[in-house]
Formats: sequence, C-alpha cells, structure tokens
Amino acid sequence: MNPIKLSGEIRSDYSGFNLLINFSAQLMQEEFEHIEVDMSGVKWMDANMCAPLGGILYKLSRQLNTVTVTGLKPGIETVLSKNGFLSNYGREKKQDTHGTTIEYKRFELKDGRYFGSYVETHLKDKGIPQMSSALLKKFRESIFEIFSNAVIHSETKLGIFSCGQFFPTKHRLDFSIVDLGLGIQANLKQKANLELSAVDAINWAMEGRNTTKNGPIPGGLGLKLLRDFIEINKGRIQIVSDRGYWEFSQGIVSTKELSAPFTGTAVNIEINTADAHSYCLVSELRPENVF
Amino acid sequence: MDEELFIKVFEIVGAKLCVASDDGERVHSQIAAALKEGKKVKISFANVDSLTSAFLNSAIGQLYGEFPEDKIKSGLSVCDIEKDDLGLLKRVVDTAKEYFKDPERVKIARKEVLGEPDAK
Repeated sequence: MNPIKLSGEIRSDYSGFNLLINFSAQLMQEEFEHIEVDMSGVKWMDANMCAPLGGILYKLSRQLNTVTVTGLKPGIETVLSKNGFLSNYGREKKQDTHGTTIEYKRFELKDGRYFGSYVETHLKDKGIPQMSSALLKKFRESIFEIFSNAVIHSETKLGIFSCGQFFPTKHRLDFSIVDLGLGIQANLKQKANLELSAVDAINWAMEGRNTTKNGPIPGGLGLKLLRDFIEINKGRIQIVSDRGYWEFSQGIVSTKELSAPFTGTAVNIEINTADAHSYCLVSELRPENVF
Repeated sequence: MDEELFIKVFEIVGAKLCVASDDGERVHSQIAAALKEGKKVKISFANVDSLTSAFLNSAIGQLYGEFPEDKIKSGLSVCDIEKDDLGLLKRVVDTAKEYFKDPERVKIARKEVLGEPDAK
C-alpha cells in the first residue's frame, strides 16, 4: 500500500477535525495492511489533536494493520515526542522541559481512577502557574465530567484517548478526550428513540436536563456543568460526533456538518488560564437545604 | 433507637478523587442500606478533592428513585463539604428529583435496586 498523506494544519477547529475525519474515512475499511502515514505535509499540529489522531490510528492497528508515522517536521516531531504520542510509533519519549504538554494516553473504560491520577499529575506538576486553585479545580472536574460521560454513554471497546497542550503566551490550555464508541446521534436513536441529525443530536445533549439515561441512576448534568463553566471562563468547547461539529465560544453556539462521519465522540475544551473568577457560589446555600 | 450513622466518603472510596460512577455506587450501597433500616445518615466529604456529577448521581441521586423525598430529607445530612461541592450536590439532587418525576423510572429504580416489583 502506498503511503497515505496527511497534509495541512491540524488545529483544534472545524478544519482540523474535518481533515482528520477525511483521512480516517479513506482508511477505515483497511485490514492486514502496512499503513504508512506520511505527515510531511503537516505544517502545524495542535498537540491535543493527538487524541483524535491517536484514536483513528489505534483503530487501524486493532484492525491488524501495521501503522507507521513518517515525514514529521522537526518542530512537530519534538512536541509529539514530548507528549508520548510518537512512543506508540517507535520514537523515544523526549523530556518536556517547559512543562507545557499533557501526555497522550489511552484509557480503558474501567480506568477512572487511573485517569484521575493522570489528570492530577499533569495539571499539578506541569507548571501551569497562572491558574488559580479554584480554576484548576473547576478545570479538573470538567475533564472528569467528560471522561465520565464517555464511560457512561460510549460503549466503546477501543478505549478513551486524551491529550492536552498548554499555550502559555496565549493563556490557553486545550484538552481533548475522544472515544470511538456509539456517538451521540446513535445513542439518542438507540436509547431514547429520537431520530435527529448529528448536529441536532449534539444540541440536544448540551441543552437543559436532557439525558438518554433511563435506569436507576439519573444523569443529564455533566455536559451542562461543563458548558456553564466554559461560559464563565470565556473558554471554548468543541464536540465532534458522527457528521456533527458543535462549538461553544463566547456564549455562542455554532454548528457545521463534517464532510464524513466520525465514529464516536471527540470533545475538546479550551480554557482561559488567566481567568481570575472565584467560582464561589453567589447564594448562601446551607447543607441542611440540599435534600 | 434513632442512631445517626457517619459515612466517610474518603474511607469508602479510598481516594480524594471521587469521580467514577462505580465509586459512587459503593457509597450509595452504604447509604441505601442504612436508610432502609431507618437510620439517620451523616455523609462526610472530608479530604475529598474532586467530585463529579456522575459520582454524586450514583452515590446520592439514585436514592430519589428508591426512597420518598421526605425520608431522604429527614434521614440524610452532609458535612465537611466545600461550598462549590455543596452547590454541585444541590444541582445533582434537583436533577434527580426532576428525573424521578417519571414514575416509570421510579419503578425501574425500585425494581433494580430494592427488588420491589412495583413503585409505591
């Protein structure tokens, strides 16, 4: 099989996701092949986008293809070696002296605690000095909410992929969590008998108290908490599932359709690390008034 | 005797990160067993650093499908909890009350968790 070219700028935006999804669409049926991913045409890659790319390549490996990654520009190679992504493709892990990477990792659904300590370790020791402790706590909890959501809803057997990157000069931290499971649209159809377009399905999941859960444990809060936090923080959320692209930024939702479906769900959150909001409750809620 | 039981979340979970639904389930079993016996329960969140709605839905939210609201209100209390975590717990409780307004969900919850054939 000839090398497969991956070219352009893989940023955390519609074009970046679309580029990866088109790349994935042309390979997803392959089995027992040697797939060389030629990344010589990649001019820029946001390191957190290793999560969706890693998920796509991992799936190809599980289909018994041998995947290699070649042609990386030195700058990209260095970042992807520092965050451990390229360790999956034979490169040595480089030390992250600036403390700006959040390691690329794959987790099983049962790895909740392991994921917890991964987040703790990376957010504590990787030098994110601007973040207040209140912001750090909210950010950590948001990441856990996304992970829990994937565990509860995705039904994936391929695991959950995550990766992050801190951009100190922009005061931004991006973190991506990806599963290759059922996806939001299929989840709604299967569990709530709702047939919506991929974009409307994401809208539905992000609104009000909607939940596909119907068992003894209630749900329908995690993604709303995330949205509330990101709105106050002036950050950004992007969700990709099936053909749907959904973005929330500056209080505004924008949606688009992707040119090919993404099997599963990718969530990227970008937080404003210079946010000095206290995140304390305005109202005087007392423990005796909770139940 | 109306004895109050003290349930320490940190001790049951064994970690300061209370984020996984499975861990919440273990806390829930303890609380549900105590409430079923008519005990009053005080839940301590001392040394807990991070909570998620998934954990709290599992630990506390699902109680609203199994017990009447007044029984939970009179039987449960919380302590050693940070202000913003208390806010999260309140949102989980409100969502659970809303969720279990659907009698079919109550029926499922009581059948699955308490082994009751029908909702009361």
